[in-house]
Amino acid sequence: MATKPEPAESIRRDGRFSLKELKGKAFEGVLIAATLVGIVALLVLFGYMFFDAVGPQAASAKWYLLFFGTLVAPTSAFALYSRRRPAVRRMNAKAFAAVFGGLAFSLAAWVVFDATGPRGPLLYVLLAGVSPLLIAGYAKYVERSMFVGPAMVASTLVALLWTLGTEVFVFALFDLIGLLFGWIPVLGSLRLPVGLPALVTAVSAGVPTLAVLRYLVRRDAPRRAFVLVPVVAALSGLGTAGFDFWLHPYVDVLAAWVAYVCLVGVPVAAVVALAVRRRATVREGLVAGGAVVAGNLAVGGVALARSLDPSFWVVMFSGTVVPVAYVVGDAVIADREGRIGLLGPFVLIGGVLLGALLEDVVDATGPDTWITPTLLLSTWNGLDPTEAGAYPETVGSIMIVSVMALMSFPVGVGAAIYLEEYAPSTGPAGRFANFTEVNIANLAGVPSVVYGLLGLALFNNVLDFPPGIVFTAGATLGLLILPIVIVSAQEAIRAVPDSLRRGSYGMGASRWQTLRNVVLPEAVPGILTGTILALGRAIGETAPLLIISLAVSGSTPDGLFAGGVALPLRIYASSANAIPAYRKGVLAALAVVLLALMLTMNAVAILLRNRYQTNDT
Amino acid sequence: MSRQSGTDGPSLERPDFVVRKERLYRRLLAGCAALTVAVTLGIILSLSGGALTFFGDVSIVKFLTGTNWSPLVPPSEYGVLPLVSGTLIIVIGSAVVALPIGLGAAIYLSEYADPRVRSVVKPALEILAGVPTVIYGYFALVYLTPILDAPLPIEQVIIPSWLGFSVPIIPSWLTFSVPIVPDGVPLLPEFALVVSEFTLVVSEFVFVVPSLGALNALSASIAVGIMIIPMVSSISEDAMSAVPDSLREAAYGLGSTKFDVSTSVVVPAAASGIISSYVLALSRAIGETMIVTMAGGQSPKMPYFPNVLRNFTDSIEAMTASIVKIASAESLGQTATYEAMFAIGLTLFGLTLTMNILAELVRRRFREVY
Repeated sequence: MATKPEPAESIRRDGRFSLKELKGKAFEGVLIAATLVGIVALLVLFGYMFFDAVGPQAASAKWYLLFFGTLVAPTSAFALYSRRRPAVRRMNAKAFAAVFGGLAFSLAAWVVFDATGPRGPLLYVLLAGVSPLLIAGYAKYVERSMFVGPAMVASTLVALLWTLGTEVFVFALFDLIGLLFGWIPVLGSLRLPVGLPALVTAVSAGVPTLAVLRYLVRRDAPRRAFVLVPVVAALSGLGTAGFDFWLHPYVDVLAAWVAYVCLVGVPVAAVVALAVRRRATVREGLVAGGAVVAGNLAVGGVALARSLDPSFWVVMFSGTVVPVAYVVGDAVIADREGRIGLLGPFVLIGGVLLGALLEDVVDATGPDTWITPTLLLSTWNGLDPTEAGAYPETVGSIMIVSVMALMSFPVGVGAAIYLEEYAPSTGPAGRFANFTEVNIANLAGVPSVVYGLLGLALFNNVLDFPPGIVFTAGATLGLLILPIVIVSAQEAIRAVPDSLRRGSYGMGASRWQTLRNVVLPEAVPGILTGTILALGRAIGETAPLLIISLAVSGSTPDGLFAGGVALPLRIYASSANAIPAYRKGVLAALAVVLLALMLTMNAVAILLRNRYQTNDT
Repeated sequence: MSRQSGTDGPSLERPDFVVRKERLYRRLLAGCAALTVAVTLGIILSLSGGALTFFGDVSIVKFLTGTNWSPLVPPSEYGVLPLVSGTLIIVIGSAVVALPIGLGAAIYLSEYADPRVRSVVKPALEILAGVPTVIYGYFALVYLTPILDAPLPIEQVIIPSWLGFSVPIIPSWLTFSVPIVPDGVPLLPEFALVVSEFTLVVSEFVFVVPSLGALNALSASIAVGIMIIPMVSSISEDAMSAVPDSLREAAYGLGSTKFDVSTSVVVPAAASGIISSYVLALSRAIGETMIVTMAGGQSPKMPYFPNVLRNFTDSIEAMTASIVKIASAESLGQTATYEAMFAIGLTLFGLTLTMNILAELVRRRFREVY
């Protein structure tokens, strides 16, 4: 492929017609046609679909002229201007990422939390997040950081497991134990002396407390370290009993919008504080974080006074205004050269808004589109296509993707780290690693419908979950993309040069320290890119959802264990509808929405990759 | 992980805690890797669990040799052959589309395209595999079928010229046609609207191009074919790129043209890679679900033999589609029909796994050559 010497006949070319040459040219033409036929076929089909979904033929020439003037001309002028100015282009990309990434993030967060209510997720965050924070704080206080990592991970896991446990997992576990041992006559007839919740509370508070106590005694820990014991006991007790009995009333007292501030605003503030601290001082970081929280409260207050929905505006403020403000502030302070690049996204948005405003003024007819607010914001209507919407399905898909990410990312990255960094090449462990690699390659080739059967058997039949819930859907698809996540994470980890590892080992770092401080930071962009690509592909998966009997129609799921709905399922179910307005109108628009969701995720992944590729090499 | 050398006294020893912490993390990570093995085990256990129950009710011989598949209509019959036939039709159709096109694209990308073109075209081809299959199914059902149907408004009867006399295509008003509803099509009430025309076959020599049903194997297999093109092209291209340049240079030195080099040096040298890509792509076609369910239909039937084209113009039911059909049926409980899903799943899993392993073996052999 690399060498392309001139073919032999060029030596003896004498202007005469050469049959050989003709054959070569014809062959090349056929090859080009073969390469393009798939792409062209897809483009044609996309074209049909887009035409049906958007209806550009209905728009008047005036409308096109108007939008050319307000949108196309300014943005292309801007693109031309920034083409030869790398600093501007870089800032432009950053601004685009902040504006549209922020919008996507805050809208997704809003629709999901609006469906579940902010208080349930807040409880989970509190229970899973507070104990590691306390541990980290305590470690800072006694100035010993050795136990922080394992203790934080363990406390988060314990809290999550037990809080979820009261809902499902522990009962599933008991079912499983019953299934395994119930046939033994004595055990089968045993009854618990106390209620199950009480037992679970006692176990969940007792086991970690005893473990910490035993550890501290064996280590001859300083006296003040024993403060940990009641803290752990209280936290893990809270984690179980508190979820239902104690914390719920307190969290319920919070106004919904305050819960949103805690749930979205405070984490965003923490991220901003960390980002500022990395570049400036701790004090400035704290000020920035405080400013974000204060801004949240102010926005909520103003919205209340104006009788708008404060929750929505709080989420939008934290998710969109804050990152945009961060990028703007960064440009003003640090990057004077490229400052003009900030205007990019605003030229685009301004063009759209101005066009929409002027549309009525100059009386231009827009395209006859099916992608309307109704489609995006209302529920399905099987009788009137103009009233049909897919809001619950879209939100359901977003929730399923989030569960999928939570399930597959930690496990996938963990497996990739083990295979790349830990697994020896010989001995039983080496054979295990080899087998695992082969196994992963084969898992990637298993048809998705088989994963659906796995999900059905595992979650619905063995664990006895209710049929068609969001959690089952997310977990099943999480298993489906696991091999893809592992393989891409492996590639990213493999791409980290060995010299970095050796340098770290040479400084006396342990393997885990090397991983955490050297290898993972280098590999994270690659890992994220691969994972997001896999998630983007999985958002369109339909067959497994059908098998685990996800409902075709339903309301927006209000929690992980509520019945789920998904966008691709709606497309599948309605494709049999013969009425043209559904078949080629609403459905085409839904397909465009699904593709747009997928392409957005792909674009994020590709942006990430490009950004880090140019920075690192 | 203890990395202490131990030669320099205890100062280089890691504290016990660090050693234990390292071990803990190592075990956690190994647990993550082990989970993938658990997934495989879970698949095998859950599939074979259901399948064993099923084969307790239905004899395995009847399952494998039966020619009637009607699990949802009361005197249930579980013969898998109609489903295998449906899957086979899809595989053949998509192979006809994808294998030559994929190979051509691979040769072009590996031998002819300059790097700039390749860097654009290759990711563009990959997009074909990334489009959600439900959208492919929608394309095939709503756009592809009408496009394909347009040139074939009615059945066309063509008498082959080797018979000695030629008859032009008989116009529609001449043929005797009976409108009936094709069997199996009314998947949903809307489909009762669809009526296709069947012509009486005048003699056994007559070659009938049947009209296209609303659900048909043709558009489904074309869509599946388009979807698996990148599987063929990218794996084959990798294999061709791995062919050492010395072989090409030797051929050029002997006066070969580029055409000769591509067809008689590179392709044979990369043959095992190409074959492995074919096998992988076909295994993907076997497991494809949404396209064949939406556009291929859900009416299991044995293949039409003398008139093979009808297999493509009629609706079929592939193995994957039958799983979807059973799963979508209202609550079945633990009946034989419910377990039949797992039996088909096990067949599918075994089939695709065998093909994947086969492809890997073929590729390994190829790796040893260079």
